[in-house]
Amino acid sequence: MVMMLGMDPISIIGGTVAVALFGILAGLVFMGVERKFAAHMQARIGPPIRQPFRDVAKLLSKDSIVPENAIPLLFNMAPVLALASSIVILLYIPLGGFLPVLAGYGDLILVMYLLTVPALALVAGGFASGSPYATVGSQREMVTMMSYELPLAIAVIAIAWRLAAAGIADPFSLATIAGTATGITIWSVAGPLGIIGFVLLLIVLAWVTPAELSRVPCDTPEAETELCGGLLVEYSGRNLGLFYLAQGVKTVAMAALAVALFLPWNISWYVALSPNAALVADFAFFLLKLMVVIFFSVSVIRVGMARFRITHVVSIYWGYLGGLGLLGLLCVVLDASLGGGGML
Amino acid sequence: MSFLPAIPEILRQFLKRPATNIFPAKYLPPSVTKYLQSVQEGKTSIHPPVETPPNFRGKILYDRDTCIGCKLCIRVCPANAIEFLPETKRVRIYVTQCIFCSQCNDACPVDALHMSDEFLLADEDRYSENMIVE
Amino acid sequence: MSEDSKNKATFNVPIGPVHPALKEPILFTFKMDGELVEEVDFAPGKCHRGIEWMGMRRNPVQIVHLTDRICGICGVSHSLAFARAVEQIAEIEVPERAHYVRTIIAEYERLQSHLLWAGVAAHELGFDTLFFLAWRVREESMDVIEYLTGNRVNYGIVQVGGVRRDFTEDQFPRIEASLQYYEDIAAKLLKLFLEDKTIQIRCKQCGVMSKREALELCTVGPTARASGVAMDVRSDSPYAAYGDLDIAPVLPHHYLGLTNGDVYDRIVVRLLEVVQSVDLIRQCLANMPPGEVLWEKKYPKILAACKKATGEAVGRVEAPRGECLHYVRMDGNPSPQTWKVKASTYSNQLSWLKMLKGEQIADIPIVVASIDPCMSCTDRVAVVRDDRTDILTKADLHRLSVEKTRRLAQWS
Repeated sequence: MVMMLGMDPISIIGGTVAVALFGILAGLVFMGVERKFAAHMQARIGPPIRQPFRDVAKLLSKDSIVPENAIPLLFNMAPVLALASSIVILLYIPLGGFLPVLAGYGDLILVMYLLTVPALALVAGGFASGSPYATVGSQREMVTMMSYELPLAIAVIAIAWRLAAAGIADPFSLATIAGTATGITIWSVAGPLGIIGFVLLLIVLAWVTPAELSRVPCDTPEAETELCGGLLVEYSGRNLGLFYLAQGVKTVAMAALAVALFLPWNISWYVALSPNAALVADFAFFLLKLMVVIFFSVSVIRVGMARFRITHVVSIYWGYLGGLGLLGLLCVVLDASLGGGGML
Repeated sequence: MSFLPAIPEILRQFLKRPATNIFPAKYLPPSVTKYLQSVQEGKTSIHPPVETPPNFRGKILYDRDTCIGCKLCIRVCPANAIEFLPETKRVRIYVTQCIFCSQCNDACPVDALHMSDEFLLADEDRYSENMIVE
Repeated sequence: MSEDSKNKATFNVPIGPVHPALKEPILFTFKMDGELVEEVDFAPGKCHRGIEWMGMRRNPVQIVHLTDRICGICGVSHSLAFARAVEQIAEIEVPERAHYVRTIIAEYERLQSHLLWAGVAAHELGFDTLFFLAWRVREESMDVIEYLTGNRVNYGIVQVGGVRRDFTEDQFPRIEASLQYYEDIAAKLLKLFLEDKTIQIRCKQCGVMSKREALELCTVGPTARASGVAMDVRSDSPYAAYGDLDIAPVLPHHYLGLTNGDVYDRIVVRLLEVVQSVDLIRQCLANMPPGEVLWEKKYPKILAACKKATGEAVGRVEAPRGECLHYVRMDGNPSPQTWKVKASTYSNQLSWLKMLKGEQIADIPIVVASIDPCMSCTDRVAVVRDDRTDILTKADLHRLSVEKTRRLAQWS
């Protein structure tokens, strides 16, 4: 296990800037690609892939209008907070062959907490904008947040617990889970029953992603046809642009988390490459994995179904997905106690 | 996936060609005016529009020489788009008023009015030369 | 959502006049209790264009194309209803073949209108894929309509005394191809719309209206049929060629085995009517008699017949949205003395109050869309004077109508 506690501040700052740039760029590119995916599934051509860049450029060049009823400080702070916290999540997640910039300073539990911060920023911004649509949207966002926490927590805990049961040190560290340094993954640790459990948990995580990102079917807080944009209804110009960027970064972060938890393989584990070539190959493979995750957990889900009511979000996430997650957890627990395929 | 029948459908569609008609261009050009200019100069090619069917009702055509000035077209025009010019005993048609019902074509006793298949009639001036037929 | 149940705070949510959920302007005011609708009020009249006023300054031959513009979707229903009213007053005998041409176009209009509605409904549910699919499927009927009449939207085919264009034998293969296309795709559409779990959980038991309420609120068309009211102008008082065709009202229990009167049933009825329309067009093509399609080819004669006519008549047509009614009164002048349009939404809109009460915010768009509202058809009155909008109560309307009746009685 590589401990990074002694890392010097300069490389942390450098790493942070690099990750922030990567997050924003990749977020916009993946949003463009995702729109293209969705368009082709709907038999459309869709906008060009560079469209999100144009959108952001245009939004950032425009004035932000603060409504009369809004609380200006909170209203203007929310988008900054959302973008900043989205980038911070990325600092804790391994990106391909690269270890997390802040590995050793925080683990999976922290990431779970951080994931709620952009949503909370949205909620605060929605309440601060003083519009009935935004208020309803904020209430719904809070309900959505509470709904997907349980399945997400189950998925995360199950993985860390299985690694701990397999006797691996520091199981909550994302670097450990992704096996960046060791090459040990959950799939190699688990036996057949455990693999079934992990597949169930993978499905759960794929379903948590649209809720986390407020996309159809869980875009109830924004619900264009009901609340005309809900939370974001009063946002315009720069502030909306920042939320747009935050959405992109968050998409990358969620997909990267799914990759780190469930699809950790790297090309360099199987093909002998020089260290630099390995980094490049692993990173390219990582981007490919992100695209696959986004395709299935964002595009296919959002294109393939109608929007839920907020009550459905609660019952589906607590009931069905919570149940599915617990079933997966049970499989993993049984697998560990039977000692199937363990590394011990 | 029997409870979500759209999922197999969209995955199949993903591999097929989009149904969008790409007239006039695949993506919105940065400047539409410049794009149209360059099309006119022959620098860019425009994707052709869907062909109009026979008997399509587009911009009106008027044959002044055949016209006998009977004013029947004015009586049947729902949009009052046709004006009679007493000095020449001929009519003037305002294309921006016209609703393309082609009723005047049917009513005309001497067959002086016809519908063309021209349908791209956007203009900046209601009374420009292109928008008045006489 | 930690609301204290003792001091329950209700708040107002305005939807409209311009809102993404509404395709046409209308103002709803909802008194909300959390996510639940406690009270509903709506104010139509935002889309009034004074078409009747224009009509009363034109002759029937002109108006018949004006009626095409009352509604962009059900244009031919309006022109058909108007033409039927004038034909009754002027005692014009419409040729048999014209009846069949009118029926075919009316059924194509129903096809495209219901598919358009299905797409809009899917969009209101946040299901844009089905929206694109339904509109792509709809395009086929638009193409055929354009091929037959010369234009996609404002067909301009109905004329007082018949139709302006005949369908020739060489056009039949194109029609047949489109019918085949719809027959092939109908099963897929039914599956995608009706078997989808997300649509089911959104639409079942949502916006419920019982048969009794449907009758009490005088709803018409698919809205009434979805509540189990077997009512269809086409079979109840046949016009055009419907008397010769085999037609029965489509009711949801034909497909589901029971009638709930919810939004889901309205989807069922409209999609099954698409299938029914294909069958009706087939029947028309098979039985089309030969002959003329216009009572009189010479326009001056039509104009003269309309000018001579005196009397009043009502033309009723089953538009895609329900019964569409035109009242015309002619008094020997070139233009009608009175022309009154009552579109189907006018009858259906009061059912919103019943259907929306107790529903969630999330259901407002789909419930509002479920009656297939058309405000530009409906809005006949807008009183704006000195920058204020007057609201006419029942007493005011009664007084005004008594005054008008007296005026009319004096004239005739």
